[in-house]
Amino acid sequence: MLEISHLYKKYMNSERFSVEDLNLSLKPGEIFGFLGQNGAGKSTTIKCLTGIYPYTSGSITICGYDIAKDPINAKLNMGYVPDNHSVYEKLTGREYVNYTADLYKVSKRDRNERFEKYVNQFKLTKAVDSQIKSYSHGMKQKICIIAALIHNPKLWVLDEPMMGLDHQSMVEILKRMDEHCADGNTVFFSSHNLDLVSKICDRVAIIKDGRLQCVIDLHVKGNKEALETTFCQITATEQDIINEQNTLRRNIIIND
Amino acid sequence: MNIKTLLKLELKNRMSGNSSKGNSWWKAIFYIIFAAVAVYAIYAVGKLFFEMFAKANIAYEALVILYTVFFLFMTFIGTSSTIKVLYYKGDNEILMRYPVSGDEVFISKTLFLIITQVALTIIIIVPFLFAYGEVVYGKITNIYSMNIDFYNIIPASVFFLIVIPFLLSNILAIPIMHVTNRIRNKFALIIIGLAICVTLMFAAYMLLFDKMVTFMNDKEFSVFDESLVQIIVEVAQYLIPTKYFADILIGHELYIAYPVLVGMSGILLAGTIVVIIKLYPKTLLNNVEVEGSAFRRVTKNRRRPIFMTLLHKEFLQVFRSVNYSFQYFVLACAMPVMVYFCNNITMQLGANQIGEQIALGMTMLVMLIFATVITSFSATSTSREGDNFYHTKVAPVSIRKQLFVKFFMYLIVSVLANGICTGVLIFTKQVEILVGLWLFAVVEAISIGLTLTSMRFDIKRPYFNLSGEGEVVNNNASTTLSVAMGFLVAIVEGVLCMFLSYLAADNFVIPGTDPEFVITQELMYIVCTAFAAIFMIGSILNYSFRLTKTYNKIAK
Repeated sequence: MLEISHLYKKYMNSERFSVEDLNLSLKPGEIFGFLGQNGAGKSTTIKCLTGIYPYTSGSITICGYDIAKDPINAKLNMGYVPDNHSVYEKLTGREYVNYTADLYKVSKRDRNERFEKYVNQFKLTKAVDSQIKSYSHGMKQKICIIAALIHNPKLWVLDEPMMGLDHQSMVEILKRMDEHCADGNTVFFSSHNLDLVSKICDRVAIIKDGRLQCVIDLHVKGNKEALETTFCQITATEQDIINEQNTLRRNIIIND
Repeated sequence: MNIKTLLKLELKNRMSGNSSKGNSWWKAIFYIIFAAVAVYAIYAVGKLFFEMFAKANIAYEALVILYTVFFLFMTFIGTSSTIKVLYYKGDNEILMRYPVSGDEVFISKTLFLIITQVALTIIIIVPFLFAYGEVVYGKITNIYSMNIDFYNIIPASVFFLIVIPFLLSNILAIPIMHVTNRIRNKFALIIIGLAICVTLMFAAYMLLFDKMVTFMNDKEFSVFDESLVQIIVEVAQYLIPTKYFADILIGHELYIAYPVLVGMSGILLAGTIVVIIKLYPKTLLNNVEVEGSAFRRVTKNRRRPIFMTLLHKEFLQVFRSVNYSFQYFVLACAMPVMVYFCNNITMQLGANQIGEQIALGMTMLVMLIFATVITSFSATSTSREGDNFYHTKVAPVSIRKQLFVKFFMYLIVSVLANGICTGVLIFTKQVEILVGLWLFAVVEAISIGLTLTSMRFDIKRPYFNLSGEGEVVNNNASTTLSVAMGFLVAIVEGVLCMFLSYLAADNFVIPGTDPEFVITQELMYIVCTAFAAIFMIGSILNYSFRLTKTYNKIAK
């Protein structure tokens, strides 16, 4: 579904690689979580695989189409939800979704069917004909999700989708992710919420300083429970380790 | 202390104060020089203006008209600035998070508004008043003939001219803002209304300018006939309260003028205080900006071809923004009238000074200058995407196609604007039909070139600096660059046309050529067409060269 091979990305005027030798392979029907601290390289990787950023070297293929060599076909198989919920605010929700559906060549029948389904599911029926600039943060996120799903993409990519959302909206999105995968599609999303990731993901990847540290299969016994500890161990900095040792030492002295 | 800091912040924001200390000095010097040049230019124009009216013995009426126009102008500027600075969200939200009181924010912003009003009034009106004094009472340098009282009273007159429009603007701001928000989404109505206003204002300005040009050519005779003089005198009598500004200046009916002005100031001050105490905090909290400006429009799901859907989206993005519509559609609508008047006057000026031969070149120059203004909008085609820029990268449509759609929209507008302009020029017999068609082809070719070059400038260096409404805050460097280039191309092409036509009229022979090379009118057509064609082809090549690669490099 998604193959990332030896991906390197260096920003202009930067001396270090933001993503370095990253390899990932995602299977159909799985929810894949992408974890890492702020600045670890999660968003950069996502922006490379969606075609927003060019990358220095390596290859990214989506459903067999190389994003650099055959970007149109690769993008036709992907739906993307950005982290900043940016949408054309002068359009109404319906106009925006129709605009996206046109770009992805969605038939009128499919679009009507999916549009009604998602608008009802995300409870946007009343707002869908209002200009997006009047939407709340959560409503903008929901219209982004509807637009990303209107062509029923094989790969659904979300960059920190739960940021700033209320509980109910989060539940709706998780439900949608689950349904999407049940149809044989793949969901790839970045998050800081370890609890959520451990509950819904089949596999997770942890990235630190642009390098992939590990890929964890959460169906293997014990991995789900140990995810937080593993993540903290992997992403801990030298200073974190020193601080922890100091705390331990202090506790021993107090106990003595 | 907070007020001083907030005021400094406001001033810095307005003057894009992120420059270094050295740069700030240069900027300050530049502003001073610019202001000095502007003051002198206004003084010179003012002198001509009053001389023209004085010739018909209506200098006082001219002063009343001037005060009226300036009063309306300052009330308009003051109201729009008050709405922007005091009521619209933007930095109000940010400032409210700081440990500063609402009163301090209000006072600092009000002080900023007053400083703006004072600066504008002094720079514009004072040179006019000195020009009036010189025309009516004689040279300023001649101490014996000058009217000391007149010059002494200028500060009082200016004081009222600052205070009254300022207070009036504060009272008008809230109701006007509500009305604006109500009609804000009637986009077609706004565009038509604005186009009519701009056209009328421009027509009035050009008619006055035309009179001044006529007067400049022959200062012996008045440009106003008897009936027009009568109308001006009659109208000036009823221009209240602006008539009283002029009255206190010339010492006419002071027993009415002063009480009226002082009384008005008092009433407006009381009104402003009531508005501020009762309505200011309420209006801020109601968040009228967003609530009032969003609309609901029930449509059906509709499938469009990719090209049409991109074009539809692009059009709505511009059409549903009053700022963009004004910058683009309104100016394009008003362009034919502007070209007609400008061409009329420049032809008259040029023909008088040099000869009939340069008329076509003048027309070309005028059309190209307006075409430059219209096409410069394309210099923000990428920047305008703002936070939505990622859409253009994620969409399964090639970058070339997406950009071509933008270009296509600009092309439609430029073809319509240039076509209507040519039609107007042909219809008013300023040019012949065939010449008009040639003129259209040349101007359109250059417009295409300018559009593509402007788009390329923006792709090379986009500025995603947008306001809360998702619109480009200031015109970026690409706009300045494309306007400068447009003017340069207009001057080269216009001068080529004028110069070659002038030489062709005398069948000028290039010295030392064997056989003789005669400059003919045909040669002028060939050279000008070739220049336009080369510019257009060069622009297309420059635009196309590594377009996708350059676009993909943009990292927002």
